[in-house]
Amino acid sequence: MPDDRELLDTGSSSQLLGDRFPGLAATDEQIVAMQSDPTGDEDILVRKPMGFLFWCALGWITLVLLASVLANVLPLQSPNFQNYSALNQGPSAAHWLGTDDLGRDLLSRLIFGSRVSLVVGFFGVAIGLAIGGTAGLVSGYKGGKLDIALNAGSFVILAFPAIVALIAIVTFWGASLLHITIILGVGTIPLMFRVIRASSLSFAQRDFVIAAKTMGATDTRIVLREILPNVIPVTVTFSLITLAGIIVIEGTLAFLGLSVNLPIPSWGNLINEGTANNALSTNPYIMMWPALAMFLLLWSINLIGDRLRQRFDIREGLL
Amino acid sequence: MSESNEISRRIFLSRGAAAGGAVVLAGAAGSALAACSSSSTTGSSTTAATGSKPGVGTGTPVRGGSLTVGTTGDIDGFYPPANHWDSNGIIYANALYDPLCAIAADGSIQPYLCQSVTPNATFDSWTLTLRPGITFSDGSDLTSAVVVANFQALKASLLTGQALVQVTSATATDPMTVVFSLEAPNPRFPAGLTTQVGYVFGQAMIDAVKAGNSNPTPIGTGPFIFQSREPNNHFTVTRNPNYWRKGLPYLDQITYRPIPDTIQREATLKTGGVDMLQSSDPGTIKRFGGRSNYQVVDTRTGVLGEPTMAYIQLNTVVAPTNDLRVRQALAKGIDQAVIQRVFGGGYATPVNGVFLSDSQYYSPTSFPAFDPAGAKKLVAEYKAEHGTPSLQLLTITDPRLGQVVQIIQQMWSQVGFDVTIGQVEQATLATDFVSGKFQAATSAQFGAIDPDLNYVWWSTTTAKPVGSIALNFARNSDPVIEQNMLTGRHASDTATRVKAYQTVNQQLAKDLPYLWLGQYLFVEVATSRVQNFANPTLPSGAPQYPFDEGIFVPTQIWLSK
Amino acid sequence: MSKYLLRRSLQLVVVAFVISLLTFLLVHLLPGDVTTQILGPNDTKANRAILLKQLGLNFPLWRQYLTWLGAVFQGNLGNSYLNHESVTHILATGAPVDIELIIISQVIAFSVAIPLALVTSRKPNRALDNVSTTGTFGLLALPPFVIAPILVAVFAVGLGWFPATGYTPFTQSPATNIHQMILPSVAITFGSIAVYYRLLRSDLISTLQQDFITMARSKGLTSRRIMWRHAFRPSSFSLLAAAGINIGALIAGAFVVELLFAMPGIGLALVQAVEQRDYLVVQGLALVVAIAYVTIQFVIDFIFTIVDPRVVRE
Repeated sequence: MPDDRELLDTGSSSQLLGDRFPGLAATDEQIVAMQSDPTGDEDILVRKPMGFLFWCALGWITLVLLASVLANVLPLQSPNFQNYSALNQGPSAAHWLGTDDLGRDLLSRLIFGSRVSLVVGFFGVAIGLAIGGTAGLVSGYKGGKLDIALNAGSFVILAFPAIVALIAIVTFWGASLLHITIILGVGTIPLMFRVIRASSLSFAQRDFVIAAKTMGATDTRIVLREILPNVIPVTVTFSLITLAGIIVIEGTLAFLGLSVNLPIPSWGNLINEGTANNALSTNPYIMMWPALAMFLLLWSINLIGDRLRQRFDIREGLL
Repeated sequence: MSESNEISRRIFLSRGAAAGGAVVLAGAAGSALAACSSSSTTGSSTTAATGSKPGVGTGTPVRGGSLTVGTTGDIDGFYPPANHWDSNGIIYANALYDPLCAIAADGSIQPYLCQSVTPNATFDSWTLTLRPGITFSDGSDLTSAVVVANFQALKASLLTGQALVQVTSATATDPMTVVFSLEAPNPRFPAGLTTQVGYVFGQAMIDAVKAGNSNPTPIGTGPFIFQSREPNNHFTVTRNPNYWRKGLPYLDQITYRPIPDTIQREATLKTGGVDMLQSSDPGTIKRFGGRSNYQVVDTRTGVLGEPTMAYIQLNTVVAPTNDLRVRQALAKGIDQAVIQRVFGGGYATPVNGVFLSDSQYYSPTSFPAFDPAGAKKLVAEYKAEHGTPSLQLLTITDPRLGQVVQIIQQMWSQVGFDVTIGQVEQATLATDFVSGKFQAATSAQFGAIDPDLNYVWWSTTTAKPVGSIALNFARNSDPVIEQNMLTGRHASDTATRVKAYQTVNQQLAKDLPYLWLGQYLFVEVATSRVQNFANPTLPSGAPQYPFDEGIFVPTQIWLSK
Repeated sequence: MSKYLLRRSLQLVVVAFVISLLTFLLVHLLPGDVTTQILGPNDTKANRAILLKQLGLNFPLWRQYLTWLGAVFQGNLGNSYLNHESVTHILATGAPVDIELIIISQVIAFSVAIPLALVTSRKPNRALDNVSTTGTFGLLALPPFVIAPILVAVFAVGLGWFPATGYTPFTQSPATNIHQMILPSVAITFGSIAVYYRLLRSDLISTLQQDFITMARSKGLTSRRIMWRHAFRPSSFSLLAAAGINIGALIAGAFVVELLFAMPGIGLALVQAVEQRDYLVVQGLALVVAIAYVTIQFVIDFIFTIVDPRVVRE
């Protein structure tokens, strides 16, 4: 009986099957059929139309982006104006999402807050991906001294006491949206590095890579053509997780006074404000709207990612 | 979350040390045992549990039981010369030690651990007689030699030396008598013995420190004995069976648990994890007041002396706050009532100075009321000469303070200022205060049993230029204030003293180094089982000041069945 | 093997050294120092100078660093300037707190995330998968400082099942300890569940499309066996990497939870020390935490080589 190691071997053709296990040879048609239904339970690769949810997701993302960009032009109330006769109100005609504990309009704060959070989130992830992701991709494949060095570098950032670094950077460099984005982006670099490196590592050992090497492909080609496509799903998943993480961490930084100056809103510091001072009991709306908005955004991006993944089915290279 | 007002929260520069700091420098008037200020009687409350007054026990005291108290934070250590204690420090100290003197409910200073403390005719020599037969928790006797050794350790220490500058010597004339010699006459010397420097600790601690142990086990004469302590976790004491106040304490054990987050502390009370809690969040009053199974005591009334005040501190020597018109405009721009309503739960009332309306030193002042029109005019005037006044309002990284500075930012912006908010850590802000690198910042201070204790914050001698260490953070160098502080200190009759401090208060309202936001409230809440936590009595039987700015006395607490 | 360990140890030492040096520099360059905190109203120029001398802070930075380093090699991490607690004691009391939080929260996280991912990756976009996806994104939007007060309000104050705050060492009273650890661990675990689930699911879906799975199917292996024996191992790389980062971060990163639940963990001690400029505590804790963090990453890297023997041990 074939042992596990042989089972791990990929790229075996039906021909090989037939050679080694007479009677088990499957026809090409059967293999294709099996490939589209590996566990025999559900057909996940049938080309469906994108679906109603897909368009909802796309719509939400567009809405958020547009509102964020056009915030100044939209007929919104001021996000920072405190109305002391309208404290902690629930949703009403005057304030569609209610007001916070200083009487500020929550809808407006949510939309203006999306600016900070989206910028910090997307650019932070972008920085992390561009630098950490690329480094991880290459490092996981190449190994050797490069890997050791990059690993050590990522450890220095990862294991460094974040609080010291943050306070120092903000004290000496100042807290502005740009600075915070860069700080969080740099903090994301080692995360991306480690996770994508792990994924790259796992694919680097596969037979198809070895085969490509044997066929004389350059490292660049292998990384780009063989490994990268396989690393993309995890990259997308982790990027989304990191996006959420950055938005939330910016809120924690706000609590420590290390983020953009008060009273500039952000989803992170709104969630924060919504849990401080017993606000969860007195006015759960403060926390609820940004958390909901973020949740919907994450869910939407994920859905789109999934659908696209299904459509442009990523497979590892075959012999 | 309401954490960080607790992360390294102290009322900036502790009250206890400030008290110790200035009183013994003082030469304030009146006899040693005179009232420092008038007051109503025992600390008041919002709700009565079971028909009786909150914190006042009814029925026969029950012996035994273990009390758990949730405090706002931990302290650094138990050795008086090596720490300066904030209110938590004195709370802990009240369990382990006894002070030489204590404050009575009528505001007078009475002997506590000592039997008597009497001055000579010129008030520059004080004879202190100890009570006989008192032993420390390690069995050693309380003698004058120990008190003298205490004094020497405190005087030599960097942290407490300032408080004893004017005491030139302490001599043991016989085993039960100590004579303190002062540099200058000070009729109010015993008031200093109610503060950190008056808590008597055992010789063994001094010896241990000399031998290199910087964390000696606490040895005191107090109602309880040290059992165990884990920093940021708990501090446990057990009953002192040989306590010199016969029949006391009632409790077998107290465990103090520092719980930084206010809401979590309250949750711990509700779940029974603690029996009693301390809080400086007025919201606690709202959340527990009126509930029949809890007793609430707070400092809205019953404050002896000056309460701790919340205020905005202005730097009077840097632009634009060095311009009086700017300070006036800033003051007129603040609506205290709104701040107290939105931020303080509506419990405090607008103040015009450092004295509450029931204080003998209270008087009307020219502290500006809320007047946005007037503020705008002043700003316009300033703007014409110097351009739009812009300043940064600093605070620490605390969610509650973050709220109040946003309110103030809006108020000031509405009268024409350009205000940015800066949130910095406690250590940075403290340094900024001391070195003068700020324009406006939040602060809370000035709680003192006697106005003279605040000398160090208001004196011209402590107002150094920006860049030098100065305890008069606002650098408000006002000779009228200086003169009247000294008059008050040396005055031989109450009328002169009252007039002097009223003048100081009025000057502060004119100079405007501080923009008052209201009284900084302290609250304690206990379950209905906890009896008598706000009704201590002195050894003489007279009632003691029950809730001194967040400090309670554990000696006569009992737990009902 | 010994060469491998040697190389890793060397890497560890280099990284630890770099981190300790940077930490030292940064924390000393921050404005303010511990004297203001200590001296309070006794803060005068003269006193400050004396205090700095007493604390050994008046020497040039390089000399202070070397002195500290020398002490470290002798096993002496120094004491807090404020409460005189030894850094070693802080670690001895704080490490069990965080270790327990890590163990409990991660055990729960793996127990939930792994089976869930195994099941839903087989049937993506079906009901369970959609619910799990929605749920985990919800969790990502709710960090521990939001979840903790809710947990306390419901399970401690509301139902009275757990205490709201507190920490008793395990050695002192195991039952009380576990009882107190549940809510804080749950507050932490939600985030971990979300991350692990999503990563594992993604990798599993990729793996399940590969030929060898097809082969296994064609050989008639059951789905369960396929998932557990053949699909899981090669899909675990991202999960492992993320777990490594997560666990490492929790050593000193759980400070919000520690603060809320009044537990004297390392994270809280470190933040407090930085805020109070308690230099020795910061340096000592940062060093130990960094060493632990990097060691965990090495363990993860080692596990990679076990999971997939083709990965070369460097």
